Amino acid sequence: MEAFRQEIIVGSVVVYMIFCVLTGLWAMRRTHNTSDFFIAGRGLGPIVVALALFSSTLSGFGFVGGPGLVYSVGVTSFWMVVISSTGYAVGFFLVAKRIRMIAELRDCISLPDVVAARYGSQSVRFLIAITIVLGVMGYLATQILAMAVVMQAILAGTETFAEVGLVTCVVISSAVLIFYCVTGGIIASVYTDVVQGAIMIIAGALILFTAMSVFDGGMQEASSIILADDAEAIMPYGAAGIMASLGWFFVFGLGLAGQPHIITKMMMNKNMSDNRTILPMSLFGYAMAALLWISIGIIMRAAVIDGVVDPLTLPDDAASMFLTVFANPLLAGVVFAGLFAAIMSTSDAFLNIGTAAIIHDIPRAIGGRSIRNELFWARVVTVLLAIVAASFALYSHFRDATLVAILGAFGWGTFAASIFPVVAVGLNWKGATVPGAITAIIAALLINFVTQLGGYTLPYGISGQLIAFASSMVLFIGVSMLTKKPELASDIDQMMDI
Amino acid sequence: MRSKLIYIIFVVSLLMAGILLAISLAEPVINASGEAHPQFPGMQVGGDGLARFEQIGNLGFAFQCLLLIQIVLLSLLGIPERYRSRKILVYMGGTIVLTLFIAWQMYSTHLQYLETGITSYFLGFPTATAWAVYGTWLGAIPLVILYSVGFHKYIHTPEDEEQYKKLLIAKADKTEQAND
Repeated sequence: MEAFRQEIIVGSVVVYMIFCVLTGLWAMRRTHNTSDFFIAGRGLGPIVVALALFSSTLSGFGFVGGPGLVYSVGVTSFWMVVISSTGYAVGFFLVAKRIRMIAELRDCISLPDVVAARYGSQSVRFLIAITIVLGVMGYLATQILAMAVVMQAILAGTETFAEVGLVTCVVISSAVLIFYCVTGGIIASVYTDVVQGAIMIIAGALILFTAMSVFDGGMQEASSIILADDAEAIMPYGAAGIMASLGWFFVFGLGLAGQPHIITKMMMNKNMSDNRTILPMSLFGYAMAALLWISIGIIMRAAVIDGVVDPLTLPDDAASMFLTVFANPLLAGVVFAGLFAAIMSTSDAFLNIGTAAIIHDIPRAIGGRSIRNELFWARVVTVLLAIVAASFALYSHFRDATLVAILGAFGWGTFAASIFPVVAVGLNWKGATVPGAITAIIAALLINFVTQLGGYTLPYGISGQLIAFASSMVLFIGVSMLTKKPELASDIDQMMDI
Repeated sequence: MRSKLIYIIFVVSLLMAGILLAISLAEPVINASGEAHPQFPGMQVGGDGLARFEQIGNLGFAFQCLLLIQIVLLSLLGIPERYRSRKILVYMGGTIVLTLFIAWQMYSTHLQYLETGITSYFLGFPTATAWAVYGTWLGAIPLVILYSVGFHKYIHTPEDEEQYKKLLIAKADKTEQAND
């Protein structure tokens, strides 16, 4: 079986991509209008929503960047993961019920629709839409590039496709993504998420077992190797220190309830009471998939220190090196398929919300109404958005990494700082005002942009994202308290009392 | 407590922002956010743990405690005001105590290691790290249990569902009238 390692891996990925295409075709028959295209007609069952929720949370970062970060800074990176239980709990307490109610009450098909209904303000809608578009561009570009780089690495190990270029890989991977997103919209997206989620759960569990067997003493031996080399790396706050750890704790914990690609899925379940089972199922899925993140990173750091494996050129090589050296070919095939699944599940979520922001929310914010033939234009913009993101990705790779890096800064942290106060707090507090929301969003965008563009480094590993989030919370509540209490629309007022 | 909740959340937010400012202004330490491993490219090391804690250790821990409190307060904000009974407040208070206990165990065992250089292990990790990994994750489980098990009692009751349906009926009537 070892002789066919590359073929097994390539085959697994090809099978998964064929599945995506077939799902797109199936979902196309169930997509009749923009409500179906963007929120699956609010008709999804709890298992589908649960798997879609955690799949969208864990992108390719969970398979490549995450283990690489653990390899690099040790336990500091754990704080992005261990906070998952908190993040999901807070998200469900604050958002799940109210976003579902407001979505049905006001026929919302996007997050900007929700904030426009809540605040009665097109300005807030516009700002949230712009935030989404900026964040989506950066995220999508990095995800498409990651997909293409991994595909190229896999194909380079075969005889037939050894010389395949990056551009070809971008075209192939983007084509599959675009096809099932355009044909089936969010329905295709969430049903591929179901399979993606299952793959990620299985991969996480299998990787943990494999990782535990690398050293005779299991994880404890790996930990003691790291401890002997540098104690701080394996101690609670890791090599990057207490404030880097707590910054990620804050931004990834509370920030989960501010991620548009996650909370829009809370609008899609058929019944309100499904939320009570969706929360624990999502949490279970995420925890299982995150085992891969933690175990690969720790084992690879220990293996390099102990001389079992040669030092890595880049931290992000941790996962692929682990699979090459320690995992059997079948497991490697499952994990690589899972990696593509993870990247695609996040990419399709972003493609969907980015399209909604461009063809649905921005026209409404500026012109006061939707454009005609919205479903048709949704499909067109999906294609265009993916092409633009892919172009950014290639440009950044070959010419100038700054552009994607800047847009990439408009990622998790910016969504967290801009959206969490306005949506998560705002949906539960009648005193939240339009000036409060606008101030919070603008402050979050400016602080994130300035700290990233200016390359400012703050002492003790404090990140710009943490400053932005802490500031936006204070500003949102403070400015709302100082400004005139709003008069809510009657149905919104009653909804917030339920 | 119930109607003043947003003010408490605001005060906690202000305290957290204040701590961040204080940390930003604290005396810098060379390896505060890690430095390159002398041998292996791409790896970072933390170096002298005690030195890193000297200026900001307690401030950082205070920030962590406030964050844990804020998480529970925000979860409470998501429970409709009429369901924030004494029972719920005691439950949430207990959750805060649990998470603060876990955080204290993590911090104190870490300091103990820094002073003695000795640690035991639990499920694969040094004790302090085990508190961080397993304890932090499990610390939110009371919130998950409250949401899932108490959903029909505290989050969305049958009466809430009736009220919600009335809103939807009113919306449908309004739409019908507009079409006429």
